[in-house]
Amino acid sequence: MQATLEDFFKALRGSDLDVSLNAQIDAARATALVGWSDRELLKSALGATLAKTVPDRAIFDQTFEKFFQFDSFGTQRAGKAGTPPAVVPPGEPLPSPAEGSGQGSGGPGGCHGSAGQALSQLLLSGDSAALSRRMQQAARDVGLTDIWFFTQKGYYTQKIQQAMGLDLLDREITEARRQSMAPQRVAELERARKHLFDEVRNFVERKLSLYGTAPTRELHDDFLQTQKLSNIDRRDFARMHEIVRKIARRLAERHARRKRRELRGQLDFRRTMRANAAYGGVMFETFWRSTKVERPRVVAICDVSGSVRQYARFLLLFLHSLDELVSEMQSFAFTNHLVDVSATFAALPVEQAVDRVMQAVGGAGTDYGQVLQDIDAQLMYRIDHRTTVLILGDARNNRGEARAEIMKTLYGRARRVIWLNPEPVSFWGLGDSEMKRYAPYCHIARECNSLRHLERTLDQLLRTNSASA
Amino acid sequence: MKSLHDSHFDSVEVVSSRLSDVDYIASRQLATAVYLAFNLEKPILVEGPAGVGKTELAKSMASILEVPLIRLQCYEGLDESKALYEWKYGKQLLYTQLLKDKLAELMQGTVGLAASIERLHSHDDLFFSEHFLEPRPLYQALHQERGCVLLIDEVDKSDPEFEAFLLEVLSDFQVSVPELGTIAAKVKPLVFLTSNNTREMSDALKRRCLHLHIPFPEPAVERAILERRVPGLSQALNRELVAFVQAVRAIDLKKQPSVSETIDWAKTLLLLNAEHLQLDLVRETLNVFLKFEQDIASASEQLPALLAQARKDAELPHASNA
Repeated sequence: MQATLEDFFKALRGSDLDVSLNAQIDAARATALVGWSDRELLKSALGATLAKTVPDRAIFDQTFEKFFQFDSFGTQRAGKAGTPPAVVPPGEPLPSPAEGSGQGSGGPGGCHGSAGQALSQLLLSGDSAALSRRMQQAARDVGLTDIWFFTQKGYYTQKIQQAMGLDLLDREITEARRQSMAPQRVAELERARKHLFDEVRNFVERKLSLYGTAPTRELHDDFLQTQKLSNIDRRDFARMHEIVRKIARRLAERHARRKRRELRGQLDFRRTMRANAAYGGVMFETFWRSTKVERPRVVAICDVSGSVRQYARFLLLFLHSLDELVSEMQSFAFTNHLVDVSATFAALPVEQAVDRVMQAVGGAGTDYGQVLQDIDAQLMYRIDHRTTVLILGDARNNRGEARAEIMKTLYGRARRVIWLNPEPVSFWGLGDSEMKRYAPYCHIARECNSLRHLERTLDQLLRTNSASA
Repeated sequence: MKSLHDSHFDSVEVVSSRLSDVDYIASRQLATAVYLAFNLEKPILVEGPAGVGKTELAKSMASILEVPLIRLQCYEGLDESKALYEWKYGKQLLYTQLLKDKLAELMQGTVGLAASIERLHSHDDLFFSEHFLEPRPLYQALHQERGCVLLIDEVDKSDPEFEAFLLEVLSDFQVSVPELGTIAAKVKPLVFLTSNNTREMSDALKRRCLHLHIPFPEPAVERAILERRVPGLSQALNRELVAFVQAVRAIDLKKQPSVSETIDWAKTLLLLNAEHLQLDLVRETLNVFLKFEQDIASASEQLPALLAQARKDAELPHASNA
């Protein structure tokens, strides 16, 4: 039964539910307590130990239903491959793959001879129960739970068929053909063989959907994080959003905590008295309330013009996520003039907000000179030694006026000016790029065109920010 | 006197029936979670909307097990001195004053500071002993001779720091007091943590707990609850009332009426001698189970439709055993 549980954990991981070792131990102890005989009971026992939040619970329920369904081997008469497999009725012992594991260790070599013989008979007689058992055992023998990609489907289908005794069936077919005395039997056998293939393939497909999603998703996430933002497909947007949110939350959490520890508020009189009672009421040690949490004040300004269109979506996405987490954050977008988008971010869900901003602000050619002037007029008074200014853009100014002197003022006033440029450093200053002129007035000017870059830069930014606070 | 572990639950059904003996109607999922928590000696994190009986569950378990219930209400700013222990520093100061003479006596015959301190050291840390300790809920829970049910209520309202502090208590049932050393539970308490999900609990905490989500009850369960909690309510009214509340939960409200509100409403109707749900009566008593002005407004708009649906649902035979 242990093996079945382990397979189930694997399946849960496949559904993106993290199962800690601790939870696994609890689950094992829980099943030992409640037993396997009552399906509903087993479900609630495993659910209480493995799923730790309500969304997790939903995933758990789904996976449980998928995992503990009977992988029936449809008989030819009883229905084609398409019929949904019956769910085990409660109260009946679970037809777990583990049943097979006991027998499987009996030595495959010996049993295959007779098993192969039986395969044709089983198929022809339509003994669904025996075939199912055989299929389960074969699946365990070939390690089907390790399946990863849909490209492995063929391989595993073949392997399972062989483990079920396909070779002998084939030999039987050839034999029957050579003797050519019973064409009807040949046809029957061939039909049976086809049926076997269909059933096994369906079975493998089901298992792939159970086990195969986690590793592929991880691989995909990894790919998304290191890819250049401009190369990422529109359809990955949702997944990307999730990753970005995760990163943003991690950053915000980490830095909020550090900040809190450093801040010192009012004297905590009670705690101080308590600690100093030991010194006869002389206040040796003082304790301070630290209820006020000052999060970094960030002004983020994002270029959404045509030249950075590909990046802009993700930069906005990131801003939106950060906006949800950092309390004092103002977001602006621009092409040729500055637009406050904080309200849009606050009001709309991310996908819509990003689209709205791209529509409203995007369009005409970039004009950094005008934008800097806008910053000077609208923003400068709000920027002080506690503000971090984050500029996301390629500094391609269509040969307009650079107005680098405003950058200089900004540099003088703000705690920190950070410019993240999607172009590699070697492109800076080439063509109409004004980056070389702006860069001296930035505390940090960096190339940033993948999520990895973004995360690393921002992490560093927040860390140095609070270390010097 | 019974101790916590003199009680046994052989199966989930036993838990259900014992709970129903004390008028707590448990779903099977809930009973399973409690059964596991008891037998695995793990804390259990109970989540769900307000008023579905999270706190009540802990109380019921305490009365079943015949052990005291110790409750720690969490709130922002709660720290260990309020949750675990506090020195009675007033008493400490008073005692040092009172015992000044004694101290002088004690010191007689010593020469020089070093010798005096040496003499003092030969006595224990008298002022930091249990006599001067003010036990708070967690400390009390660990010190119960017969074990107890420890209810850590609304743990989501506490600060992350406090949550971290709880970890030691929850995994090992022990706490460290710097002056006294580690205090382990005499009998491991049965721990319930409740959360209204105002914030996500940390993974570390979740890992140490079993998880139970109590949703709004099914109609049949809610009827059973009303039967137990509001005796004297007629079958017909019970049926209509539950169907109505269930219908109200389906519309978009700021705060959906919970079981506790249903009970309140049932009591109200009983007091008003109502036989059936009448439009006017419902309209006048809406404020018993809807707590926001705009909720009341939007519910009264749809009142005739809701009432009609409730009557229909109450009639249906399948609703009675659903």
